[in-house]
Amino acid sequence: MRNMGNADQELIRRVLAGEKDAYGLLVSAHSEAVFRVAYRITENEADADEVVQETFLRGYRALDRFDSRANFKTWIYRIGVNCALDARKARQKAGAVAIAEEFEEEQVAVQLADREAGPERILLDREIEGRRRKAMERMTESERTAFVLRHMEGSSMEEIAAVLGVEPNTAKQAVFRAVQKLRRSLAPLWVKA
Amino acid sequence: MKHLNEEELVELYYESRDAQADEQGSNLHMNHVLAEKHMQQCEACATAYDGLARVLASAEGEPVPERGAEYGAQVWQAIRSSLPVYEPKRRHIWAMWPRWAYAMAGILLLAGTFYAGKIWERTHTTTVAQNARQGRERVVLFVLDGHLDRSERLLVQLSHAADDPGAKSETVSLPLQSEARQLLADNRLYRQSVAQAKDPLLAGALDHLERVLVEVANSPDDLSTADVEQMEKELNTDGLLFEIRVLRARVADQAKERSGAIDRGRTTL
Ligand SMILES: [Zn+2]
Repeated sequence: MRNMGNADQELIRRVLAGEKDAYGLLVSAHSEAVFRVAYRITENEADADEVVQETFLRGYRALDRFDSRANFKTWIYRIGVNCALDARKARQKAGAVAIAEEFEEEQVAVQLADREAGPERILLDREIEGRRRKAMERMTESERTAFVLRHMEGSSMEEIAAVLGVEPNTAKQAVFRAVQKLRRSLAPLWVKA
Repeated sequence: MKHLNEEELVELYYESRDAQADEQGSNLHMNHVLAEKHMQQCEACATAYDGLARVLASAEGEPVPERGAEYGAQVWQAIRSSLPVYEPKRRHIWAMWPRWAYAMAGILLLAGTFYAGKIWERTHTTTVAQNARQGRERVVLFVLDGHLDRSERLLVQLSHAADDPGAKSETVSLPLQSEARQLLADNRLYRQSVAQAKDPLLAGALDHLERVLVEVANSPDDLSTADVEQMEKELNTDGLLFEIRVLRARVADQAKERSGAIDRGRTTL
């Protein structure tokens, strides 16, 4: 990890010294990871691709303000998260996001047959997925970001704190509140199991 | 121990997942160990944890669509033309240096300040500038030798890995990948600075070295001895080892020649 960081620092130095194409190597090294987070936040493939491009554009323009002691991955993640949140908002404003349908959460209680394939399992998966999305809509931006990074991407609390630009404890709280929202939305499915 | 609250259970869940992902499992805190111990004895907490884990595990989300190996290149192609070139900051010629050389030179110059001080009084700027230039060459030779030394050791280890007849298994473990990766980053720096120096022997060797390092750095963990042998043959690592030894001898000679005025500073290094 540290080696990667040093390689990044060296590439940044080269870009700032006028070697534009060195930035291409930074793009190669981090675009997939930025895509993953962008996709988790926007939940839309085309949007996520656009977010990746926008992120690296913004990153390039801001590169001379990059603190050379910082971690490039965390820094570009942070830009990516902001771009993705913007994209999500823009799409919602345009009314193009299929807002997850309302679930009557207290009444639906699906009998769970955990490892069983077949139509019931498919219905259940759909139900879970819908509730997960609904819960994520109820999260604040920092809760959603923290949750995506912790729950889906397996980032460490330190990394999440750095991406959000907050203290580790604040990041931990954000993850916790996100999980509570998810739980409230999903737990009823198991009540009668 | 008190019962675990919801927040602690959530933390426990993600930390356990981290530990599973991290083969060494080195991330576990003392609190985590205590919490797990408590759960073994406390049914209430164990049940609460299971409930939480079931909910969280069910909500992994749909898999993220794959982006191919070419994705980075595609993104770069899409944005490249709209990016301006950064103007190199000419006033900091020193900034063009790799950072290690800068740091080393800083140490050297600092060490040389005592001697330089006297010269400064008498002969003014030229001498100091000369001093700095000599110092820089000295530094470059010094670190270059370190680099060649590490590279040589890596090649020797590699050749041992290939012809170890006592190896029980057919696969060899190469702890060399990470070393190769580090060397690769340095090697690129040397190649750049050497490109201006017009030194075909050195340039050729560093070029050759880079190809070997790329292969080693990207090699899988479970190479067979046959794979290593093949790699050695294709990349002519024996030849490279020879080139490096010749270079190291030359570097040592050059260093001796140039040690002159700055040499006293070196002892404080
Ligand atoms: Zn308990």
